[in-house]
Amino acid sequence: MKIHNARSGLALACAAVLAAAVLALAAACAEADSGDSRQASDEVGASAGADRPSLLVYTVNYPLAFFAERIGGDLVQVEFPAPPDVDPAFWSPDPEMVAAYQSADLILLNGAGYASWTDRVSLASSRLVVTTEGVADRYLVVEDAVTHSHGPEGEHAHGTVAFTTWLDPTIAVEQARAIRDAFVHARPSQEASFREGFDALEADLIDLDVRLSQIVAARPEQPLLASHPVYQYLAARYGLDLRSVHFEPDELPGPAAWRDLQAMLEERSADWMLWEAEPLPETAARLRELGVESVVFSPAGNRPADGDYLSVMDANARRLAALYRGMPER
Amino acid sequence: MRQVFYLARRYLAYHRWKTITLVGAITLIVYLPVGLRVLVNQSSRQLTARALATPLIIGAKGSPLELVLNTLYFGADPPALTRYAEARRVAESDLGMAIPMYVRFRAQGHPIVGTTLDYFDFRGLEVAAGRNLAVLGECVLGSRVAQALGVGPGDHVVSSPESVFDLAGVYPLRLRVVGVLGFADSADDDAIFVDVKTAWVIQGLVHGHEDLTLPEAAAGVLSREGNRVIANASVVQYNEITEANLDSFHFHGNLSDYPLTAVLVVPPDQRASALLQGRYQSEEDLAQIVTPVTVMEELLGTILTVERFVVAGAVIVGLATLATAALVFLLSLRLRRRERLTLFKIGGSRLAVASVMASEVVVVLLGGSLLAAGLTFLTSQFGSVAIRALLRT
Repeated sequence: MKIHNARSGLALACAAVLAAAVLALAAACAEADSGDSRQASDEVGASAGADRPSLLVYTVNYPLAFFAERIGGDLVQVEFPAPPDVDPAFWSPDPEMVAAYQSADLILLNGAGYASWTDRVSLASSRLVVTTEGVADRYLVVEDAVTHSHGPEGEHAHGTVAFTTWLDPTIAVEQARAIRDAFVHARPSQEASFREGFDALEADLIDLDVRLSQIVAARPEQPLLASHPVYQYLAARYGLDLRSVHFEPDELPGPAAWRDLQAMLEERSADWMLWEAEPLPETAARLRELGVESVVFSPAGNRPADGDYLSVMDANARRLAALYRGMPER
Repeated sequence: MRQVFYLARRYLAYHRWKTITLVGAITLIVYLPVGLRVLVNQSSRQLTARALATPLIIGAKGSPLELVLNTLYFGADPPALTRYAEARRVAESDLGMAIPMYVRFRAQGHPIVGTTLDYFDFRGLEVAAGRNLAVLGECVLGSRVAQALGVGPGDHVVSSPESVFDLAGVYPLRLRVVGVLGFADSADDDAIFVDVKTAWVIQGLVHGHEDLTLPEAAAGVLSREGNRVIANASVVQYNEITEANLDSFHFHGNLSDYPLTAVLVVPPDQRASALLQGRYQSEEDLAQIVTPVTVMEELLGTILTVERFVVAGAVIVGLATLATAALVFLLSLRLRRRERLTLFKIGGSRLAVASVMASEVVVVLLGGSLLAAGLTFLTSQFGSVAIRALLRT
């Protein structure tokens, strides 16, 4: 047995003890490091967000899509996926379409209870823009809404607020302003461009407002009928003497509907009925027999087959002007 | 050298029970304080990591700890309820993103977390199977919940009634599983996520029932006065949301008054955070705003105080054990006097004999240290699981 062997054995043993201690410390440190990296990944997750070159915007109706396109121009990609043959107010997207909405950077809602499907789906609230939130005090109440009560919560009503807010161009301007502000918030570097787009749109909407005001000013007392209760904001803005029935353009009204109309006419005569779309010829003929002419005033809730929102409103204004001059143009 | 170790090894093997006892004692001496430190560090880090990643929480005035634990870990009893108006208040202030949280109900023992899709973005949670929440009545499972319940997309889970004696209270809602989240190594793995509106459906605030204006619902109608319909309690309400009845679901009352357990707030910067906190300093305010990391640090302060006592105890016990081990070695040396003499007589030097004895000590110390290192490594790997299991109970 040699001395140097014994010495190196001792040294090796000491080194082994040290190594074991280092191993224990390393295990503790490794555990600490993994914790730090977890925390770091948490922070990354928190800051993760869509950062596309152009802003992806989904809307619940065509007017909002039009406003967004005008304000955003090429800087935004606007999607309004409702099929062309539906009323977007009552349309419900399937889960796949909901997923498409979820992928948007911003989801433009009309507010005022429009598109109630948005209450029944999951959308990130930070991406929702309720465009009429700033003018909620100008919401109009639908007086003949059905209310019901049951259980401990008591009475409540559904659909009590009229929702075609954009038919008042001054509200439409506020909706467009809300869209502009949302765009600026999402893309501050492109503020100038968004402001430019908004200013041009605002000018067009104010022009429309002035034009409609001038048309109605000629005969403000003129009684009118509406085939559907969708013109509340139009009537309120221009002081129209307007009462509504529930006729569908693509359906023949039933006997009860005709009785209600006749009762309404006996109470208050009217020469014209505003329609969202061209009524069936049979319906128009029957109305004519009652002394009521049909005139289309499209709310433009869905994307038109031709033209755009302003061209639809221009056509509405022309028909309304002709109507107020006493010569319906159809 | 080989001979020295051979003799030491043979001696230790012959006295195996004494060796095992000594190695076990050394293991405990090293492991107890180190392992405890690792465990405390791990729990501290786990508690603070999630708290650090959660800038602010708003809730009803009450215990801040209860509010933070419920919002971050979903395990504690629900805190005093706040209102959805608080989420709107933050959103309207433009001082941060508000994520509503309603963690009150459970399904098969797992917490149901009512929130919005912003929560998934905020925590960086990804759907590993199926898809994310789309419509009312759907749920997405944390990875451990899916594993524990053995369910996946297309299956159902049923929310638990709050109390079997509360006949007028919360009824079970059958939730459709549409997705399973990837493993996040956090409390999110143990939760069932629903849209906050679905949580309100569970509570009955948002509900669907047959159309009261239809003749079929006549049995449930007490009176009709013009456009006003009053129904009795027998009106058929749905306990599962399907494609067929989805459109009948509606809200009762003012949405701002709807309950939440908390609002998780993500301000864009420190300035917004400070401004927001300043707005909740009023005594009259029914809501409080808390910084989770501050609350958790207070909790950790208590844990660390306890840890210091435990470590001090472990060190004292360790010293006593070391002294005992030293005594064992010394007594052993005395008992082995004749053995040493024999080694001298057959030519072994003093140093070589001392090396044999020392090697035995070193091997025992090394064995104990290695075992302690192994246990510490296991603690570092599985300690977090144990902590979460403790937090869940």
